[in-house]
Amino acid sequence: MKARHLAVALLGLGFLLSAATPKEVKTVAGMPAQQALALGERMYRQGLLPSGEPMASVVSGDIPVPGTSFSCGSCHLRAGLGSWEGGVVTLATNGARLAQPRYWKFPNLTPAEREELKLQNPPARPAYTDEALAHVLRTGMDPAGRTLHPIMPCYDLNDRDMAILIHYLRNLSARLSPGVDGETLRFATVITEGVSRQDQEAMLVPLNNYVARHNQFSKGFGNRMYLAVGGNEMTGSYRKLALSVWRLSGAPETWERQLEAHLKKEPVFALLGGLSNGAWAPIHRFCEKEKLPCLFPITDLPVVSDTDWYTLYFSKGYYQEGQAAARFVNGMEDLPSTPQVLQILQEGPEARELAAGFRETWQELGRPAAALQERVLTSAELADAEGLRRRLAQEKVGIVLLWVDARSFPALASFGEDRRMFLSSRLLGPQTTAVPEAVRAFTWITYPYRDPLEEPAYSKYADTLLAGMKERYPERRISTRVYSLIQVLRQGLMDMDRHFYRDNLLDRIGMQRDQALPDYLRLSFGPGQRYASKGCFIMQLSPGANPRLLRRSEWVIH
Amino acid sequence: MLRTLFTSLLLLSLLQAGHELQAQGPPPYTRSLESYTVPDVVLVNQEGAKVRLKTMIESGQPIVLDFIFGTCTTICPVLSAGFANLQAKLPPDARIHLVSISIDPENDTPKVMREYLKRYRAKAGWDFFTGKREDIDKVMYAFNAYIPNKMSHYPLTLIRDPKTGKWIRLFGLMSSSEFLAECKRAGIL
Repeated sequence: MKARHLAVALLGLGFLLSAATPKEVKTVAGMPAQQALALGERMYRQGLLPSGEPMASVVSGDIPVPGTSFSCGSCHLRAGLGSWEGGVVTLATNGARLAQPRYWKFPNLTPAEREELKLQNPPARPAYTDEALAHVLRTGMDPAGRTLHPIMPCYDLNDRDMAILIHYLRNLSARLSPGVDGETLRFATVITEGVSRQDQEAMLVPLNNYVARHNQFSKGFGNRMYLAVGGNEMTGSYRKLALSVWRLSGAPETWERQLEAHLKKEPVFALLGGLSNGAWAPIHRFCEKEKLPCLFPITDLPVVSDTDWYTLYFSKGYYQEGQAAARFVNGMEDLPSTPQVLQILQEGPEARELAAGFRETWQELGRPAAALQERVLTSAELADAEGLRRRLAQEKVGIVLLWVDARSFPALASFGEDRRMFLSSRLLGPQTTAVPEAVRAFTWITYPYRDPLEEPAYSKYADTLLAGMKERYPERRISTRVYSLIQVLRQGLMDMDRHFYRDNLLDRIGMQRDQALPDYLRLSFGPGQRYASKGCFIMQLSPGANPRLLRRSEWVIH
Repeated sequence: MLRTLFTSLLLLSLLQAGHELQAQGPPPYTRSLESYTVPDVVLVNQEGAKVRLKTMIESGQPIVLDFIFGTCTTICPVLSAGFANLQAKLPPDARIHLVSISIDPENDTPKVMREYLKRYRAKAGWDFFTGKREDIDKVMYAFNAYIPNKMSHYPLTLIRDPKTGKWIRLFGLMSSSEFLAECKRAGIL
């Protein structure tokens, strides 16, 4: 009877973490609470005091560390739920957890759940008071008198700055994010106008199949499954999944307003995948503004940023191919001391991103901007094979990056063997292997995917989610990318546990190990890393009527 | 039903045992004397320059080496704070070369490594290296430091005395005074 009671309590419905809501205060340390929150956030994330000076601390007993080297968020992560890395457990420091006692056993259970289970073991530490928090931050000693791991810095903070940081911690991940309740975790996927029916199907079939399979489990069984996988940290974390499709129409400038209306009507926890024929930037900006995670939109035109947080992309897309070309050219052994480089690009965002990736990387490598020229071809110029041939023949530059599609092929014969030419396989699409044989020996092709000879062994796994799909379009790499998204999401949901904070999902994905999934040779993660595939091959085509792509570079080129 | 539950609870108690061990504080670092064969690989430093690792290590300069990565959450920041602090305490004529080798070559480009060193106020004499994944793996294997998953890596510091060519292997996190004492004991200070 007792065991049954335990089972019902452990595996039953309705495990919502009763996050302790912080007291509403109007002023903190003599300033408006909102201002203190912003300053506290800067302390937590950037290690800067309200004065703008670095926070001073000592780690491992006697090593002084300025806050600008690493901050609270480096180890406790953005949502504050902590990390486990290098054999060191970094404990949660978010508002909800600080306000409760911490237990060794079943630390995720609420006080009510502990009561129901009649768990008698004493807490490892009581709930933190503000005084106890200040004490542990200054001395490393928790309210149970236990000294924390010496890796935890001891901070030299005055009372005012300490009050600001504590105010931030009290409010950090104190309430569960929108889009989740005791039963369901809600997601949406965005599809913009003009995306073909085939592309939509290639994304929606595997996504909906995944949701349906996940939801086959009863909540009790789902929790039990999670329990077996993740131990006590997983108790009560199973939720049914719901997926909405948000369709956007009209000009991209109007998408933000449409997205706002969707989110208001259907608050979701995160966006999954997504399809657009153009740049992803408007949806990216919306997600930044709303602090809404977007996992792996199916786009090759992402926003390239070192600091943006909420959208996790497969790669930097076309931009990354341009980067790879720049690094490969830079590493060529017989280059002249100041190589002259010409980028010829067709109109449109794809070629623009290829050229930008090359240009910015080329300059970062210390190559002079003056030795890099660029020309833009109009569609009419590109279609005029004879005109283009004459034009290319006049160009005397040694290295030519031709960011154009297969319409350029008839004109390529004008290049002599004294040139080195680069093309993009993504821009050429299925025409990649149709590069004229006469130029293949001195033409290199950027190829952002796994070697085609090795790919089938990985892509076939994606078929497991395509039940009910009559036609398949593997060359679009949509279903395979959705498969990869689902693998990362599944692990992320388990690691997120019952701590349903949007930032926590991104934090947990950031802690995942490298994965070998379809399309890309390797997806790798890390806190703040937002482009999972960092590589690109440089290929050449073999001679003959049925050429093969031959690898000419490493996956990641430094 | 009950059997499954008991299996789960047994698993939980095992996991919790591990948890409690973690919470009892770190074990002291361990020290051993080792001989390593440095692989002949070419790595790339934070300036984008290619460097032959074997030549650099055997150049006659004392070496202190660790394995880190730019977005590491817990171990690397403390190892790097230790390097920064060691640099600050070195006498002006010390010729010690601090060498950090990336275990995340996918993400650690020269730009990322430059910014990392800047965060730690690194001075000349501390270099951060990345390279081809196969070469990084070779280096990790050579120093008995291979980890298949960067999130599972451990704190390791290696000190090479050029007079003997032997390596002091320090496994675990050290305080500043312990680190300095180890450098002196290794004969490089």
